Amino acid sequence: MKFHWFHLMPWPYLPDDMRERYDSVYVTLPAKEIYDPVRGHDVYNEYLDELEYADQMGFDGICVNEHHQNGYGTMPSPNIMAATLARRTRTAKLVVMGNSVALYNPPIRVAEEMAMLDVISGGRLIAGFPVGTPMDTVYCYGQNPATLREKYYEGVDLILKAWRSDEMFSFNGKYTQLRYVNPWPRPIQQPHPPVWIPGGGSVETGEWCARNDFLYAYLSFFGYQMARKTMDMYWEAVDRVGVDHNPYRAGFVQFVGVADSDAEAEKLYSEAGLYFHNRCFYISPRYFQAPGYLSIETMLKGMKSQMKAAAEMQAPDLTWKQIIERGYIIAGSPDTVADQLTELADTLNVGHLMVMLHYGNMPKETVLHNTELFATKVMPKLRDKFSDWEDRWWPTDTLSELATPAPLTVGV
Amino acid sequence: MATATFTDEIVSLPNGRSQVVFRGGAGDPVVYLHGGGGLVLEDPLLGALERTNEVIAPVAPGFIDLADLEEIQDVHELAMHYDDLFEALGLEGVPVVGHSFGGMTGAELAAHYPRRISRLVLIAPVGLWNDSYPVADLFAALPTELPGLLFADTSHPAAQAMIAGGEGEPDIEALMPLMRGLTTLAKFMWPIPDRGLSRRLWRIRVPTLLLWGGDDALVPARYAEDWGAAIAETSTVIVEGAGHIPTVESPEQTLAAITGFLSGVAVS
Repeated sequence: MKFHWFHLMPWPYLPDDMRERYDSVYVTLPAKEIYDPVRGHDVYNEYLDELEYADQMGFDGICVNEHHQNGYGTMPSPNIMAATLARRTRTAKLVVMGNSVALYNPPIRVAEEMAMLDVISGGRLIAGFPVGTPMDTVYCYGQNPATLREKYYEGVDLILKAWRSDEMFSFNGKYTQLRYVNPWPRPIQQPHPPVWIPGGGSVETGEWCARNDFLYAYLSFFGYQMARKTMDMYWEAVDRVGVDHNPYRAGFVQFVGVADSDAEAEKLYSEAGLYFHNRCFYISPRYFQAPGYLSIETMLKGMKSQMKAAAEMQAPDLTWKQIIERGYIIAGSPDTVADQLTELADTLNVGHLMVMLHYGNMPKETVLHNTELFATKVMPKLRDKFSDWEDRWWPTDTLSELATPAPLTVGV
Repeated sequence: MATATFTDEIVSLPNGRSQVVFRGGAGDPVVYLHGGGGLVLEDPLLGALERTNEVIAPVAPGFIDLADLEEIQDVHELAMHYDDLFEALGLEGVPVVGHSFGGMTGAELAAHYPRRISRLVLIAPVGLWNDSYPVADLFAALPTELPGLLFADTSHPAAQAMIAGGEGEPDIEALMPLMRGLTTLAKFMWPIPDRGLSRRLWRIRVPTLLLWGGDDALVPARYAEDWGAAIAETSTVIVEGAGHIPTVESPEQTLAAITGFLSGVAVS
């Protein structure tokens, strides 16, 4: 089993009364009122410290992702974060989860930037291609929900063709036309870095991943208990395509808080957990959907559960007890956490576990504590899980000798 | 008011596509292009029109099957699709009445293929954008906000029916036609319902009636000024106290203005 340290980079100074004053943490939360760039300087640098610490503590991957115009994740460009991490980390793979392909014009930009990251990091990049949430894609970036998915699929096709092709080619797409496709640089990993697809549980995405041999990562953020139905649907899709149940073709995100005891866990993590659910996840349902964003088929299968999830996100009075009981966050002693993660791995059949060890407004020292306990007390208990399976969704061309950045000198 | 008696048929187009059309009444043809809610045969306007005319009401592509939109990429191809339909039905120089999204469609058809249309009635059309009074974001509206966006008086029975329909567990199957309709609208209106129509409106030379509910919360009635300034020969009727669907909310004044305009009687 592999473990990845995932940062959302939320804004940690969302006001206590934001639910009374504002409509949504996403899309319309006024940047001028809430975002303070001077504080942001420390916030970004602390968050990067935390990701770098995860590299030192032996996590297999460190994850960054893309969100726009919100206080939930202040990372419109995950590539910028990955670029700084490429110079300051040595072993962890850089899991960019990822670039919302339809937002880049032309999408060949993604092939270029990801190749840059792969080359700078010495072949450590994992290339994630999400469609992107409705908030990000259609509300903040004005993409047309009726054609977003088609544009996304075409963009992914273009990027992969650019990486795989030995020759320059012309691309006459519906959404992108390029006379000369010949991107520089090329990635170290040949023909291209592993492709991971973050998804929210749509029917077609899982099947598309299985057919193309992409890793499917279910980013529910509501914990493994709620994820069972969606992951069952994914493995059914895998069966329809006729490929194996290799757990490494699946990823899952789980919020975790490790402490010396279960009681200590509540003391350490409840404020941050409640901050995440009550503030970071305060997303207005008006931006949580858009006509055409989901296919009719997915809507028929999943709309009720999605509406339920959306309603739960809006619940202003969620308690720590509910968060724990529903499994949104696994918190407790190393044994408690390891037991539940074993159950997660067994029930969902997931080989790539992305853990959120920072959430909400968790202070840096708590994040480092959580990370250390997870790495030293939890990871070893689960390491050997799924060791019979080959992980074919993992970088294999990473350079054995990485260039060493020059040390900081002047003016420090 | 009696409900219109319509029958539906499938019209084959030469490019292999087909188009569902409802027909009712007898006499000189009038084409009706429905708005975002789909073709509602109970709309008093259809009953009024079919008393004097043959009413031809196509169901906009996408509203029955989203696959019908695959070959219709933009408003230009949408106008072309209607030109094909008019050709198949032998319609040349006929009056067209369009509501909201149907108004935009009618205006695009008139601007692209001026000879198809003899008179144009635009009821609260979308298609123009003015920063001073933006069109409301229908797509981001919560279901509970829709009655207030569409009706001036939410105690009107049609608004009340909409409110009642939105209560309780959503019936996903029943919502599908609405979702198809909204997806169609999104294709041609997202994120701002302006596809350059203002640059083409000068091509509309036929008499045009601009009809608006004075309290339209979705597409403010002030847009009548923008349309009026861009089209050569317009009359404007603002129905005070009505919202975005004046044919339902204030049928008497609305229908009189439309039928009067279509029969060539001057309106004011």
